[in-house]
Amino acid sequence: MAGQSRERGEGQRRDLLLTVGVILASLIVLNLPPGSQRSMRQLLRETVLSPLLEINGAIARMRERALDFNVLRAQMDSVTGLVAAGRTLAEENRQLREALALRGRGTHEVAAVTVIRTGTPGAESAFLLDGGSEVGIRAFNAVATEAGLLGQVQEVFPGRSVGFDWSHSDFRVAAMTPDGRAHGLVQVVRGGFREQDRLILRGTAYLSELGPGEELLTSGRGGTFPRGIRIGWVVGPAEASAGWSRSYYVDPAVYPGAVTHALVYLERVADTVAVVPDSGPRQEQGVPR
Amino acid sequence: MNLRVFLLCTGLIVTHLLLHVALGLGRGAPDLAVVALLLASRALGSAGGAATGFVLGLLEDAFSVVSFGANVFAMSVIGAVAGRTRELFVGDSIPFLAVFLALGKWGRDALVWLVSDTGGRGPFNDSILVEGPLLALYAAAAGLLARLLFARGPLSR
Repeated sequence: MAGQSRERGEGQRRDLLLTVGVILASLIVLNLPPGSQRSMRQLLRETVLSPLLEINGAIARMRERALDFNVLRAQMDSVTGLVAAGRTLAEENRQLREALALRGRGTHEVAAVTVIRTGTPGAESAFLLDGGSEVGIRAFNAVATEAGLLGQVQEVFPGRSVGFDWSHSDFRVAAMTPDGRAHGLVQVVRGGFREQDRLILRGTAYLSELGPGEELLTSGRGGTFPRGIRIGWVVGPAEASAGWSRSYYVDPAVYPGAVTHALVYLERVADTVAVVPDSGPRQEQGVPR
Repeated sequence: MNLRVFLLCTGLIVTHLLLHVALGLGRGAPDLAVVALLLASRALGSAGGAATGFVLGLLEDAFSVVSFGANVFAMSVIGAVAGRTRELFVGDSIPFLAVFLALGKWGRDALVWLVSDTGGRGPFNDSILVEGPLLALYAAAAGLLARLLFARGPLSR
C-alpha cells in the first residue's frame, strides 16, 4: 500500500511538472519574436494544413466559376465602354501633360489572385492569397477587387501571401474625394459589438464639408496604396473638432466576406515612400522629384 | 484513453479542420477542436490534456496574423484544467458533460481574448458576454450529440 501511494505521488508530481512545462512552452510561443512566429505559421500552413487550404482555394475558384454569365457579360460590357471612352481621354491627357511639361503617369501592374479565408479564431480580419513572391507580390502591396479596396498584404512567401482587410484595427488608408476637395485618413472604429464596427474618415478640413453618398478614393499619399482605388461612400458626419477638422462615417465599397477573387497592385512601396536627403547626388541616382 | 474515445476525438478534430479551414465556415460551425480537447483531457489527465491543447492551439494559430500563440496558451491551460477535473468529478452524466463542455469553450474564448493583441481582438461585450455563451452552448450541444452518437460509456477510463 505504501509503495502504491509513493508511486502515485511520484506520478502526480511528474504529471504536474509536465503540465507546467507545456504551459510554460505555450507562454514562450506567445512571446516569440515576430520573425519566429511567422516561420512557425508558414511551416504549419505548408505542411499539416496545406491540403485543407488547397480544398478551400478550390472551393473559392468553383464559386468564382459559378457566377452568373449574364452578370459577367454586363460587367465586361461596362468595362469595354469605359476603355473605349478612355482611349481618346488618355491621348488628350498625354498631350496636356506634355504641354505642361509633366511626367507621364505610371501604369498599374497587377497580379490576379484567389482569396482564401479560414474560419479559425484570431483570423477574422486575415486572408490568404494563392500568389506570393514568385509573381512579384511584396509586403504592404494593396489588394483590391473590381468594386474597390479590400486590404493590404502583410506577409509574403513563395506561392502564398497573407494580408488583412480594412476591418483590421491596424488598417489605415489615405483618402480623398475624386475632385481632391477633401483629404483624410480612413480607418476602422470598433463598436460595442462587432457588427457596430465602421469605417471612418478622419482629419478632413473643417471647411470642406462632405455630403452623404460622396465617393472616396485612395489618394496615394504615403505611397502604400496607389491613387484612385475606391474605398467607399460617405454616409454622414461622425464628429467635428470645432473649427479644425471633421470626421465622417464611410460605407465600404467591398465586404471582405464575399470576396473570392482580387488584384494585388505590384507597385514598389520603397519607390514612393523612401526618404531621400535634400543634399546629395539626388538627380544622379535617378530619383524623381 | 481507449480506442473509442481516441477515434471520437480524432474525428472531431478532422471535422473541425474541414469545417473551419477547408470550408471557412467560421462561427457558423461549432468549435469541435475544444470539444475534442475537453473529451481527450478527461481521458488523458492534465499533462496529456495540456500537450493536446498545445498542438491544437498551434493549428488554430497558423492563420492568426497578430496574436500568434493566444490559442496555444488558452488551449494548453484549458487542457490542463480539464484533465484535472477527472480527479474532482467522477462520472460522465449528460448534465455534467453539457456544463463541462460549455464552460470549457467559454473559458477558452475568455483566455484567448485576455492574451490577444488589444488591436486585433473584438470588443469585450461582444466576444465574451454575448457571443461567448452562445458559442459555448453551440459547442456543448455538438459535443453531446457526437458523444451520444459515437462514443457511449465512460470517458475517463
